[in-house]
Amino acid sequence: MAYTRNNAWDNNGTFQNTSLLWYAKGVGIMQTRALDDLNSWWFFAAIHGEYLNETNYPGWGSIPGPPQVPTTPLPSKSIQDSYWNQCQHQSWYFPPWHRGYLLALEAQIRAAVVSLGGPKNWALPYWNYLGPNNQYKMPPAFAQQTLPDGSPNPLFVEARYGPQNDGDIFIPIPPVSEQCQDNTLYTGSNPNTPRPGYGGPNTGFSHSGRLSGNLESNPHNQVHVDVGGQAPQGNVWGLMSDPGLAALDPIFYLHHANIDRMWAEWNAKGNSNPTASNWLNGPAAVGQREFIMPMPDCNAWVYTPAQVNSLSQLNYEYADLSSPAPTQPVAFDATTRRLTRLGLPPTVVAQGDRMDNENSLELVGTHDGTISLKSSGARVQLRLAPEVNQQVISSFAATSEGTLPDQVYLELENVRGAQDAYKLTVNVNGQTAGTVALFGLRRASMEDGQHGGQGLTFVLDVTEIIDNLHMNNALDVDSLDVRITPNNSISEDANISVGRISIYRQSYQ
Amino acid sequence: MIENARIRSRIVASVLLICIIAWTIILVNPAPLMFHAHHLVTYSGASRSSFPIILLLRQLAYLVLGWVIMLSAMMSPTLIESIQHVAERSFKRQRGRAIGLFIIGYVTVWIVTNSAILLIMLSISLLELPSHHLIIGVSIIAFLWQCSPIKQRSLNRAHNHRELAAFGLAADLDTLYFGITHGSWCISSCWALMLFPMVLPQGHVAAMATMTFLIVSERLEAPKTPTWHLRFPGKLIQISIAQTQILFSSQLLKQE
Ligand SMILES: [Cu+2]
Repeated sequence: MAYTRNNAWDNNGTFQNTSLLWYAKGVGIMQTRALDDLNSWWFFAAIHGEYLNETNYPGWGSIPGPPQVPTTPLPSKSIQDSYWNQCQHQSWYFPPWHRGYLLALEAQIRAAVVSLGGPKNWALPYWNYLGPNNQYKMPPAFAQQTLPDGSPNPLFVEARYGPQNDGDIFIPIPPVSEQCQDNTLYTGSNPNTPRPGYGGPNTGFSHSGRLSGNLESNPHNQVHVDVGGQAPQGNVWGLMSDPGLAALDPIFYLHHANIDRMWAEWNAKGNSNPTASNWLNGPAAVGQREFIMPMPDCNAWVYTPAQVNSLSQLNYEYADLSSPAPTQPVAFDATTRRLTRLGLPPTVVAQGDRMDNENSLELVGTHDGTISLKSSGARVQLRLAPEVNQQVISSFAATSEGTLPDQVYLELENVRGAQDAYKLTVNVNGQTAGTVALFGLRRASMEDGQHGGQGLTFVLDVTEIIDNLHMNNALDVDSLDVRITPNNSISEDANISVGRISIYRQSYQ
Repeated sequence: MIENARIRSRIVASVLLICIIAWTIILVNPAPLMFHAHHLVTYSGASRSSFPIILLLRQLAYLVLGWVIMLSAMMSPTLIESIQHVAERSFKRQRGRAIGLFIIGYVTVWIVTNSAILLIMLSISLLELPSHHLIIGVSIIAFLWQCSPIKQRSLNRAHNHRELAAFGLAADLDTLYFGITHGSWCISSCWALMLFPMVLPQGHVAAMATMTFLIVSERLEAPKTPTWHLRFPGKLIQISIAQTQILFSSQLLKQE
């Protein structure tokens, strides 16, 4: 049987949309199960990430309900070790791991729905916040305290504060965008694809990822932080803002269904997933944990990226996979736009020369020293090494010889902090470089966590800003003016710091 | 994270070369290493008599050389990630200098610690305990340390690739300091495993190879919550098996 995942905004995103009504009832059933039941809502949330050992918030015992989150009975240590805290972020495994996670949760909910006499072909709805009209708002069914029959609504969550921390849940567009859909490389970079690529960086044997892929950065991370937000007072943040809480909120799976739909759409446009065996065989092939999910029949499903590589291998589809064949080869877009910006005829760069040199990443300048971020943000002078900056400048002259000028990136390195629910907008010489969401920051900053306390690194493509500076003869300078502005006031206890800000060049020569 | 593939492959090639050279020396002529192995026990007798200063200096130089060879053989593969971090975070023209400072910091803490351990061992040997007491003692300490939360904490800290300044003196000091801190966490996690082969009356080389396998394997694991637990070189074996399977199945696919 092929299942179709429909838009959560069908029937105005209310309980008139039966997919949502049955989802609510299925979530309700999973929530009645105990924490140590592999088929429970709580167990599934812990598969993504948990804070059961912490006493204060975000410890699961101090989450303001609903939902009332249990902290006992714990499953055995070996069950915890094989299932919990599996989520793959800052890695090229991000899309396939979450695809399998959704399939397992969907199977669980479907079994619950069928047990209640619901449709046998129920499938998870998706929330396309980038869709037309009101879809940027959370579907209204999630804000109802009760179901149509008057019973409590399992989709209602107290700790969901929104982008302005006032409980109004919507996705601000921009900065959230579907720009990543124009990427043409899963891992790596080219004129259409900024580093580290659409799906994320190859995290190698050590699994020491610090960079999110482009799909993961925006929209994924931003939507998490926008929906979750921070409580107006106190040091409580929304469930969706933190990977160790996020999957407790039923909106999580609709958000990820949309991310999964975007990945499928990206593939349908003709973009390919990695063919490297280390990706296809999953992290187990590099000695990491295997991807494993509990299925409703009480069996464990162990899977690899190769098994969830394309929708055609799987038993579901999306109602809207708007993927018209591009009218012109996508590869032309970014290059043509850039040449136009530089006042050059589009013919100047031969197609064969458009692949960048992935080996050429080189530091151009930095702001050294840790910046501690308060609500007022920060403004620093980023010092450029003159001899490297000269190479960037001279790369503009090389355009006449048929190669593109350097691609330039700004990095916020070793960003650390105790709270995730913030977004930072970065400006360079008065021009917006982009916005980053700190989803995952707390876990990446824990010294005994997966990242060993080195925090997260954010990369922004600032090529357009550098192009503009060049066109205004303002690139031959010693420093750049960098501003960081938080989207909301930063709580005292958040302790957010940026270890270093850097500019890197990547040459096409 | 592999950011710059060319830097990565150069680092991997150089490190493997150094590692292979060190192992070749050890296999061909393990004399420098033998020094503080069983010589240690007989050393106590000599040290009490008047010892010619020249001979002592020569012995010391030999000793340090032995340590450097041992470090190159056993620890160099664990430095790939950190060296790459240093290289990528430095200006191109300063990469060599930065890597050099990192290694100087790293090796210096090892030499200081080794000297301290040697002094302790010498004083113990003055007690003229039967040599098997030493072996048993070191084995017990090594085993306990290996299972301890401190061991896990040290492994975790060795994964922390901190920010490094890029300009001027601050850049030099940061990389040197990174070498020292990284070296300290390495020592804290590996000292017992490195000491163990040295006190064995025989079979040093086999023991060293085993310990190297264990050390490299542990470093490939992601950080974990520090607790008491048994540690096995599972990771490297897992990787080897999985990679062999991949290789094998891709060969099969080609034949089809
Ligand atoms: Cu997510």
